[in-house]
Amino acid sequence: MRYEVEVNGQLRQVALTRRDGRYVAVMDDREWIVDAAQVGPHLLSLLIEDSTSALNGGTAAAVATGQAPAGRRTSREISIADDAVRGQLVFGIGSVPLAVGMNSRRRSGRSADPAHIGAGPQRIVAPMPGKVVRVLGRPGEPVAHRQPVVVIEAMKMENELRAARDGTIAEVLVREGQSVEAGTLLAVITSS
Amino acid sequence: RTVPSPVDLARSVRAARSEAGAAFGDAAVFLERRISRPRHVEVQLLADHHGTVIPFVERECSIQRRHQKVVEETPSLAVSPALRATMTAAAAAIARAAGYTNAGTIEFLLDEAGQFYFLEMNTRLQVEHPVTEMVTGLDLVHWQIRIARGEKLTIDPLKALTPHGHAIECRIYAEDPDNNFLPSPGRIQHLRVPAGPGIRDDSGATSGLDVPIFYDPMISKLIAWAEDRPTAVARMRRALGEYVVAGIKTTVPFFTWLFSQPEFEGSAFHTTYLDELLRERNGRPFVETGGGDEDLAAIAAAVRAAMSPRGAGASRLASAAPPDPAAAGLGRWKIQARTEGLR
Repeated sequence: MRYEVEVNGQLRQVALTRRDGRYVAVMDDREWIVDAAQVGPHLLSLLIEDSTSALNGGTAAAVATGQAPAGRRTSREISIADDAVRGQLVFGIGSVPLAVGMNSRRRSGRSADPAHIGAGPQRIVAPMPGKVVRVLGRPGEPVAHRQPVVVIEAMKMENELRAARDGTIAEVLVREGQSVEAGTLLAVITSS
Repeated sequence: RTVPSPVDLARSVRAARSEAGAAFGDAAVFLERRISRPRHVEVQLLADHHGTVIPFVERECSIQRRHQKVVEETPSLAVSPALRATMTAAAAAIARAAGYTNAGTIEFLLDEAGQFYFLEMNTRLQVEHPVTEMVTGLDLVHWQIRIARGEKLTIDPLKALTPHGHAIECRIYAEDPDNNFLPSPGRIQHLRVPAGPGIRDDSGATSGLDVPIFYDPMISKLIAWAEDRPTAVARMRRALGEYVVAGIKTTVPFFTWLFSQPEFEGSAFHTTYLDELLRERNGRPFVETGGGDEDLAAIAAAVRAAMSPRGAGASRLASAAPPDPAAAGLGRWKIQARTEGLR
């Protein structure tokens, strides 16, 4: 079966076949043999053998990034959490989180790369309940990557919500003084 | 306002008077010594109801973000035994003069010339008290209760002032360090707290808990102790790598990055060091994944989808009970490898 997985904004193609109760995964002209077990509701245990025959013993770069040299098995535990607000999963490899999307029909604009060309509109969404204390732009105004757009007061502090990429403010849907719930759409920014 | 030189003094006072008069109707001006690039060094005290005051070895709390402490350690590399004696004696003198009882902390600013200045007193037990407990072997909370019951302090003053080893604490917050440390409330779906030699986690979180939005977003304090600071730093790095909090964002990746900064390893910092470093970084993500991690995530996602009872493309988590490894026909080596992988 072929799977299209989005990891940290990058689309990856993974082909899986079953062999002797294990999975053979082929991705980017490399091959792994994977033994998998769901050992808890949010915990996946993998025994992975890098069986790519093209690389003999692994390149220095592969060793540096922690990839096993060809033929060696590593045991990894991966935590899997739902991120309902952003409609994705978060995989935890040790304490390192990675955003993972499984549905290849997901709408564009999810890329984490600020330079991603042709991405869809940015939605500035309230990550938690709070009160809008300042709106820092109006429709039609340009915004730069990381420029604050809306300030929300919550959890004893003021929190600036920023544009993830350069763009133009298309809509502002809240006004100062308004209380908002987690997930409330605050502003929409289109790519300039 | 800061007055950089005597030439600017008259003008600054005039401007301050004018602002104060307009804002408060009171044009009084206070002059305070400006201390540049200070360290925040504080002294823990216990005082009983019988007149005994015991100061403890100092804590260094200069790693702060927006004036909030994020890392605390003891002892401070900037404090020599002689300076420790002077600072702790001063702290005890303040407590005696005030007739203070039970636990408290005197906070000082320590300048680059080794001069220290009183900042304030916290008349309570502080978040960072565990580092003091780790290097003295004493239980401060237990003593608070004993003092309140009227017991006399029986702690050897020398023991309280002599650190055994080095302890560091990280305040783990439910905040997204890659999004300006925005609070990240939500449900903790999986929690795996680090352990092992010298690691202590004072936690307020459990798996399945909704991190509430009404208070500070701290979910735990992670403390590492070792015989010396480099080893404590190494243990903390190891522990941070093992800390899994799935379902919310935490500052763990930020601490992983911080503990690899050369100035941090050399203890060459002051109270605005972190703010300056973060400004320089300009929002570059703390979570830096290697190609290996991303490959692994892609493969894991595909495998998980294949294993899911609903087949490919499912975006819900399988809620199957953990499978019985023996029933699945796994050999002993595989069971061992899985167990070790999960440590």
